Amino acid sequence: MHKLIEFLQRVYLPVLFVVIELVAINYYAASTCYTEARMISQSNDFIGGVHGLFAGVRHYFSLGRENEMLLERMAELEKKLAMYQDEADVARFEEYVAEYGEHKFRTLSASVIANTINRAENFITLNRGTADGVETDMAVLSPDGSMVGYVIDSSEHYAIVMSVLNTSFRASGKLVGVDYFGSLCWDGRDPHVILLDELSKYAEPQVGDEVVTTSFSQYFPQDVKVGTVESVELNETHTAYTVRVKLSAEMSRLTNVLLIGNNDWELIRKMQQSPKVKQHIRQK
Amino acid sequence: MHRSITYLLLYLFTVLFQVFLFDNLSVSMYLNPLIYIAFVALLPLDESPLMTLVAALLMGVTMDFAMGTAGLNLIVTLPVAYFRSTLLSLTYRQEDLREGGIPSVERMGMAPFLKYIIFFVLLHHTLFFLLETLSLSHLLHTVARILLSSAVSVLFITITSRFFTSKLDSRV
Repeated sequence: MHKLIEFLQRVYLPVLFVVIELVAINYYAASTCYTEARMISQSNDFIGGVHGLFAGVRHYFSLGRENEMLLERMAELEKKLAMYQDEADVARFEEYVAEYGEHKFRTLSASVIANTINRAENFITLNRGTADGVETDMAVLSPDGSMVGYVIDSSEHYAIVMSVLNTSFRASGKLVGVDYFGSLCWDGRDPHVILLDELSKYAEPQVGDEVVTTSFSQYFPQDVKVGTVESVELNETHTAYTVRVKLSAEMSRLTNVLLIGNNDWELIRKMQQSPKVKQHIRQK
Repeated sequence: MHRSITYLLLYLFTVLFQVFLFDNLSVSMYLNPLIYIAFVALLPLDESPLMTLVAALLMGVTMDFAMGTAGLNLIVTLPVAYFRSTLLSLTYRQEDLREGGIPSVERMGMAPFLKYIIFFVLLHHTLFFLLETLSLSHLLHTVARILLSSAVSVLFITITSRFFTSKLDSRV
């Protein structure tokens, strides 16, 4: 008995170390980006308020830049408006826009209260939650309308966004004016560049071409600006291009964002999961 | 008793700095200093291995919750805590270790202290960034991240230890 206690005293430390380490590794290996988002959203109850305070102070420093951007945007819109007013059927157009905006998409604005760019899995925390009408899968755009990410989880007052700078981020994109599409993902290296992968070799991308989202994505509306082509590389089998795209959203200086929800998406999803469709999926 | 209060303050101090300053410091892809490890690095030289492990557990879980990393910080903090005494005995004289005291330039001398902190931080950051990327494909990129982030962490821990011991050396 005495020997046993002595033995236990000698080995309890390495055993304790190995046990905790194994539990942690097991938990980490089983985690997905969704568990991680859930954890952040829980700890936000503690630290969200303080983050909000800091963000509020930081906000003042970027007011000048934001004003400039808004003025630019206003000038641009003013120009567009003048153009449209020239058209004879402006009334009909406005009616169409109003109807379109009301039925298919709904928009919200939010402030960024926490954002990282220096990890492999970056998330953005917003100061809006389910109470403000935020829902999972809403698209998140920067003030000038560029792709930033999509909402993956929301508590009552906060929402967690899958940043485009996250190795788990997926969306589909294409070149302006060309219908071939590829998948957008981040390789975790440069916070200014994401990849447009598996783009058909017939798309013939050129440096400087503009890249936008397609309408197939479950998150983003059609033709949301992604960025411009920085460099182009044909893959080993010469069947597809891997295009490096310079992001047009300034991820490190994000303060305000727009949220866009697709009202039809719920219907589409319901239909995709309907029994009639399932009949045609092979049973596993 | 007095000692545990000062270490509680150090814990709060490092957590606040990590979560509210360094985690928001989106200066560069290469700069992600994990300064919270200061809490484990600056435990007394004669601290029992069990308490060191408990401190690492506490810090790892706190950081996982704050950063949302689901165990990553705990995984990398435990081994450095476990091998801390080995690391200390490699860089410092065994008989002086038993006398205790907070690791600092004054207590250990410039060279042994820096050697200890640099190895400690490098081990921690290497494990962290390798596990985070989980691939060897961009190895140079990862190495750059490890070295730059470690440099900042070492600097921060050295400053913290100076600040920490200048007030408390005689009493702890």
